[in-house]
Amino acid sequence: MLRVAIVGCGKIADSHAAQIKRIADCEIVGVCDREPLMARQLAERFHVGHHGGELTELLTVARPDVVHITTPPGSHFEVTKLCLEQGCHVYVEKPFTLNAADARTLLALADEKGLKATVGHDDQFTHVTRRMRELIESGYLGGSPVHMESYYCYDLGDSAYARALLSDKQHWVRRLPGRLLHNIISHGIARIAEYLSSDNVTVVAHGFVSPLLRSMGETEIVDELRVIISEEERTTAYFTFSSQMRPTLHQFRIYGPQNGLELDHDHETLVRLRGKSFKSYAEKFIPPVLLASQLFGNLATNMRKFLANDFHMKSGMKCLIESFYRSIVEGTPPPIPYREILLTARIMDVIFAQLDVQRAQTQGQVRASCLATATPTSSECLS
Amino acid sequence: MESVDQEPFIIGPYDLVLVTGATGFIGPAVVESLVRHGFRNVRAFTRPSSDLTRLEATIAHHQGSAHIEIVKGNLISREDCVAATRGAAMIIHLARSGDKSFPEAFLNSVVTTRNLLESSLLHRSLRRFVNVSSFAVYSNRHTSRWRPLDESSPVEERVESCGDAYRFAKVKQDDIVSDYGRKFGIPHVTVRPGSVYGPGKVAITGRVGIDTFGLFLHLGGSNTIPLTYVDNCADAIVLAGVTAGVEGEVFNVVDDDLPSSRKFLYLYKRHVRRFASIYVPHFLSYVLCSLWENYSNWSEGQLPPAFNRWRWHAEWKKTRYSNEKLKLKLGWAPRVPTPEGLARYFESCRGARHA
Repeated sequence: MLRVAIVGCGKIADSHAAQIKRIADCEIVGVCDREPLMARQLAERFHVGHHGGELTELLTVARPDVVHITTPPGSHFEVTKLCLEQGCHVYVEKPFTLNAADARTLLALADEKGLKATVGHDDQFTHVTRRMRELIESGYLGGSPVHMESYYCYDLGDSAYARALLSDKQHWVRRLPGRLLHNIISHGIARIAEYLSSDNVTVVAHGFVSPLLRSMGETEIVDELRVIISEEERTTAYFTFSSQMRPTLHQFRIYGPQNGLELDHDHETLVRLRGKSFKSYAEKFIPPVLLASQLFGNLATNMRKFLANDFHMKSGMKCLIESFYRSIVEGTPPPIPYREILLTARIMDVIFAQLDVQRAQTQGQVRASCLATATPTSSECLS
Repeated sequence: MESVDQEPFIIGPYDLVLVTGATGFIGPAVVESLVRHGFRNVRAFTRPSSDLTRLEATIAHHQGSAHIEIVKGNLISREDCVAATRGAAMIIHLARSGDKSFPEAFLNSVVTTRNLLESSLLHRSLRRFVNVSSFAVYSNRHTSRWRPLDESSPVEERVESCGDAYRFAKVKQDDIVSDYGRKFGIPHVTVRPGSVYGPGKVAITGRVGIDTFGLFLHLGGSNTIPLTYVDNCADAIVLAGVTAGVEGEVFNVVDDDLPSSRKFLYLYKRHVRRFASIYVPHFLSYVLCSLWENYSNWSEGQLPPAFNRWRWHAEWKKTRYSNEKLKLKLGWAPRVPTPEGLARYFESCRGARHA
């Protein structure tokens, strides 16, 4: 029986607790939060024995084997380090750390202590993503990926989180190096990192504050991001994050030398993109029929899984947690390779560094423009 | 109307009253009611992102006759709470969470309330904390049809099992106010409004029915809907705050001449817009809620427990309501009669549709 603890009792901790409760041979033995009332409410609802506001007390009193770290990202490094030093395996919510150097330190510490770590990229363990992974491993693409497209969008207008973030200049998300992007994009970047075979990648990023946010007086939160990733001029990828485009896509497309695949996370659909063409007018009529039959097949699969009680909203998280626990018990490799965690962190580092440079250049241009006109009357110039 | 000059209120006209959630649906009406009752010093606490239009209109209306100060901040921040409560003789805590997740609802209801209570202890100026709660806290599972739901009715004990984050947070908020009252002697009253309505609220209360599934399911039938017009509710909240001799009391707020669900729906369709609805008899809605609850439990939450027997008892069980205590102890009477309140509400709904 694995003894599990949760550190940080906010919204995502609820999902962790609910999924852990569905897994056999494990038990939540303690929860803790800097705000003890939050720890108490989680403990009451999930019938957890120990709750409190001190991490060291949690580790010594509840003696967990695994700790789920669901605190804001700024504290991931310190909390994870302490848990590893105390001999606990760690499941860290995304983003794993604030930068690749911290990620490297923690993973090295885990190795040194003979412990395991994983990151909460649970979107990569949904039913549809696992089907995609199986197809790729079976050689469906016909070779190494040639190109990938990852969309990970976010609707700022329909979220209490966004309202709180935009209204609160002290919000913890604003203190992250990549601000809003830092807390969200790792899911979409990790999808690409999974299929890059080397660490030698070139990243070109362009980001900006959307006109909507600018009209609300926001100048710091970059909510539109486009990235080109290139691996030794062999495999390329586009990453798109947008708060404004509709639909709010969460899609991944991967193209090989023979075929491609298109995964829609929101609809839980996977479509095979056939590389070969039909002759003449057949190309106009047969592929739509094949496409329709594939979508119908996806519908049937989703309904079958729902009726079999295997289609929960957080099924990916349950699968990832289960796989992680199995790797601990059986001594097998963790479900997300450390190389992938590090590469995701490195790509994000480069993106945020480039956005910082862009921001500095923009501010410099604004200042130069103000000096040139010598009429600093707009609020942008004055700031 | 009673005023501070005539009644033995516990605070004077220039004592500071802090109103949290001042830009919410009830907030501007409470500020208005305070001024109408003769209180001239109000601090309105709002989130930085709140829409100030209605509150600013109220302030403009009373410019010169009352000092109404807007303070922006976040009740999750202890520093903001300390600043907001400085010098307050009365706190009317309206701020509520609309969050659907348990942790966020709890954070924005219970932790914020605790922060306000602790801050008020620092300043030692508080004479009453008005905790604005909700009918949602009542269990109503064991109340017979012949006994009205009143202040003595039991509060839900197994609230963590209800599947309703708002109800969970409100029960815990009431608990923490009582705890601080007991442990630190903070004088407090709790006000539990029924379904507050009036201009500015467009949605039909869930006690009448739901349109989750594309067709309006009328679930209330002949049930009485515990409506309270926003101005009447605001008066009750203010009176609960200032009236002497009611420390620790709970007051339910409903108006007189309450309509049935069926009559409300008929009037809404006649005065606002026509739409298709289907009546679901009580026994059938109970069975459906029960089935949903059982499936949710069996499937370990594949469907969230949005419909269950707790909710059925709280919202759709045939229940009678009482405002006797409110009238007896606070001398409250509804300023706006229900027919007039409904007329204003329907007119506002029509306006919102054409906007």
